[in-house]
Amino acid sequence: MNSNELPAAIPANSGSRGTMVESTGMPTQKADQPILVTENVTMQFGAFVALNNVSASFESNKLTAIIGPNGAGKSTFFNVVSGAFAPTHGRVRFQGRDITGMAQHEFARLGIAKSFQITNVFSLLSAHENVRVAAQMRQTRFELLRPRADLKDLIDKADALLHRVGLTGLRDKRAGDLAHGQQRCLEIAMALASEPRLLLLDEPTAGMSPEETLAMMDLITSLAEERTVILVEHKMKLVMGICQRLIVLHHGEFLAEGTPDDIRTNDEVKRVYLGQSA
Amino acid sequence: MRNAVLNGISRHRVAAVTAFLIVFPWLMPYEALAVNVLIFGLYAMGFNLLFGYTGMLSFGHAAFLGVGSYGTGIVMVHYAWPWYLAIPAGVVLAALFGLVIGWMAIRTRGIYFAMVTLALAQCVYFIFYKAESLTGGENGLRGIKLEKIDVLGLQIDLLNPTNKYYFLLIFVVMTLWFVSRILASPFGAVIETIRENEKRSAACGYDVARTKLVAFVLSSAICGLAGSLRALHLSVVPVDSLHYLTSGHAVMMALLGGMGTFFGPFVGAAAFLLIEDVVTNITKYWQLVAGAVFMTFVLFFPRGIWGSILHWLRHR
Amino acid sequence: MFDLKLLILQMVTGVALGSVFVLLSIGLSLIFGMLTVVNFAHGAYFMVGAYVGVYALNVTGNFWVSLVVVPLVVGVLGLLTERFLVRPLYGRGIDYPLLLTFGLSYVMMDLTRMIFGSDGQPIGTPPGLRGAVDIGVGNFPLYRLFLIVATAIIVAALWLFIEKTRFGLIIRAGARDPEIVRVLGIDVSKAWLLVFGLGTAIAGLSGILAAPIRAVTPEMGIPVLVESFVVTVVGGMGSLPGAIVAGLLVGIVYSLSSLYVPDFADTSIFVLMALVLLVRPQGLFGRAGLMS
Repeated sequence: MNSNELPAAIPANSGSRGTMVESTGMPTQKADQPILVTENVTMQFGAFVALNNVSASFESNKLTAIIGPNGAGKSTFFNVVSGAFAPTHGRVRFQGRDITGMAQHEFARLGIAKSFQITNVFSLLSAHENVRVAAQMRQTRFELLRPRADLKDLIDKADALLHRVGLTGLRDKRAGDLAHGQQRCLEIAMALASEPRLLLLDEPTAGMSPEETLAMMDLITSLAEERTVILVEHKMKLVMGICQRLIVLHHGEFLAEGTPDDIRTNDEVKRVYLGQSA
Repeated sequence: MRNAVLNGISRHRVAAVTAFLIVFPWLMPYEALAVNVLIFGLYAMGFNLLFGYTGMLSFGHAAFLGVGSYGTGIVMVHYAWPWYLAIPAGVVLAALFGLVIGWMAIRTRGIYFAMVTLALAQCVYFIFYKAESLTGGENGLRGIKLEKIDVLGLQIDLLNPTNKYYFLLIFVVMTLWFVSRILASPFGAVIETIRENEKRSAACGYDVARTKLVAFVLSSAICGLAGSLRALHLSVVPVDSLHYLTSGHAVMMALLGGMGTFFGPFVGAAAFLLIEDVVTNITKYWQLVAGAVFMTFVLFFPRGIWGSILHWLRHR
Repeated sequence: MFDLKLLILQMVTGVALGSVFVLLSIGLSLIFGMLTVVNFAHGAYFMVGAYVGVYALNVTGNFWVSLVVVPLVVGVLGLLTERFLVRPLYGRGIDYPLLLTFGLSYVMMDLTRMIFGSDGQPIGTPPGLRGAVDIGVGNFPLYRLFLIVATAIIVAALWLFIEKTRFGLIIRAGARDPEIVRVLGIDVSKAWLLVFGLGTAIAGLSGILAAPIRAVTPEMGIPVLVESFVVTVVGGMGSLPGAIVAGLLVGIVYSLSSLYVPDFADTSIFVLMALVLLVRPQGLFGRAGLMS
């Protein structure tokens, strides 16, 4: 099988999200409660205000994109809601729970997984080990004497996830030696390994060829059927085509939100974008 | 075929290294050198766990070697503890120091780590230097006697260098087994992710600071054991055991041998000690040679001797 | 009975001691800020500066000439080091230049022993700077006053250089974000070369300045390295005000401990460092750009 092809959407078989929610003792997600909310989030770097009072809410089980012209603060917003840094002011809530300022590693444990804008994998480890170690987090972290080769379920789970993103043939290749598009798929597999309720993807198609981009979009759409997915994206056509909701940022401030149709017909948004090259 | 042999050795690495170390004394010009390689190999192995596998460059590991030596020495000399309690005492004391120093050093930004560990270890040096009544101060701790031991009715004369070597080897093999298990464990996977990419590791959900601390304590305990055995071997604890130059020796041995490899530390210890031994017979400026060799490796052979051999064998 | 005059005198002694630390720490910070290299040979350059200075003094009989010769010679050594030993390592990860400079310090110490012998080099206080002056609270050694003044002048000159010249702008930009320097198309490698040379030159200069009050031996750089690191951790790496404040603070802490708790004088600076680590792990002025 050509390693650049991604399979058509395959139903998730990497574990049941119902079990994950129960085992972490989190309050069960109500269908209509937004899964992620930011309240008056401001992010300042010295004198520079990257985000100014951004209040937004993200509906659960939907595919939402954060869009905006260059410099809108999308990446900063992404970094705040994914736990890379704490906002200077304001609060972030996940499933109703205040997670502002929590350490990065707690985000994954709570059920928020992310991929990075610049591909960030464990270069010297194999693709399989990258995913296996990401999956291992849920099971064991400090065992010293048991051989991890005995943890067959993790090994199988990693194989299943690799299959899901179409990297089965590259299982034993060093992650650093994979092509760019393959590394991006690997990151998605790693994010899925922690059984997240919320998947945050920062420009997942960046640097990909048109075929790879389409395949990635198919994958994301299928992932969005099982959990909430929030994207940061530049490529407007794709975003309009597959997302159910959009949130528009401009100059670090909240500009608009709604369905793709709402946004397409929003005058303010049009004005903001017409001034920029697409 | 070659890869199959390499993989076989890798899977049975403890047995392979043990086998090598059993015959090792016959390869060395004299026994004391073999014993030193054993002890410093253990020291380098503890350091390698932290640097080669977890990616944390500490310049303070002499503190743990020294504390292990002093811990064992003090309880034997001042409190007449038997050797089988004195050795664990040294290890535990070293691990405690590791916990404190590690906790403080890990709090800082990564770039400070080498500096902070060096400084904190130097602090330990001054403390032990000043505590003369316990440690002997500048002259070191003297009078650690372990001449014979009774094991299961057998009396083993440890003044015989061969007996001493194989006695110490038992501890080294136990540690080899322990380290091998750690490296193959789930924890072992996590420390490698930290070495590769800390941010990614945290994003996966691993508590990087806590994992680092556990690795640090394990590393310090192993170096403590090396110190403990060294005290028994030398019968004295020189105060320079704690000095940062001794920390530098761990760094040099680990790099010379091959960071992040299982057998590398012993190769590095042997190489370093052989350089010292051979060069001092020719000139007193062995540090010049050692420093130049080290720089050459940093520039051109960062994989170290054993690492380069493995790489060459795998990718020929 | 509490003697205020003695306390103040001791504090001024601390400032003199701290002056050396300030210079060392600035050199270390410059090199780190621009090249992201922790120079483990910094103490060795300090030592070489002292030796070169004493040699120049013995040859010319003039201390002031030494003060000019030393930074030039040591600076050139630094340039050579960066160009041929450190530069090849930049792609590789931040530990490698550190390791290299550590190995280099061994070589430098033994080379010094080979050339000058293992015993120390005697150097008396330079004529014109001998004796003591009354500074109001008592008599204070003139040389130590000179040390404080000299350091202040050097720091001021550095500040002017960094704030007001084009090259200084590059240093500030590089310290804040090395990528920017690259993007601006400025020849980064030349900037690295010169900054490394500058940092080592300052280290060497502090060596000859300290020589009259310390024993000049091949090992003199060893404790100095530790002290520089303590100062850097306390002040925050990459911060010029941090280097100044922390250098003086460490000097004063050591000096006062020597007077009041002499048994703990050696460990006092580490206690200070540990306190800073507990309360503000990035250092007192940590994370700031080089000149803010």
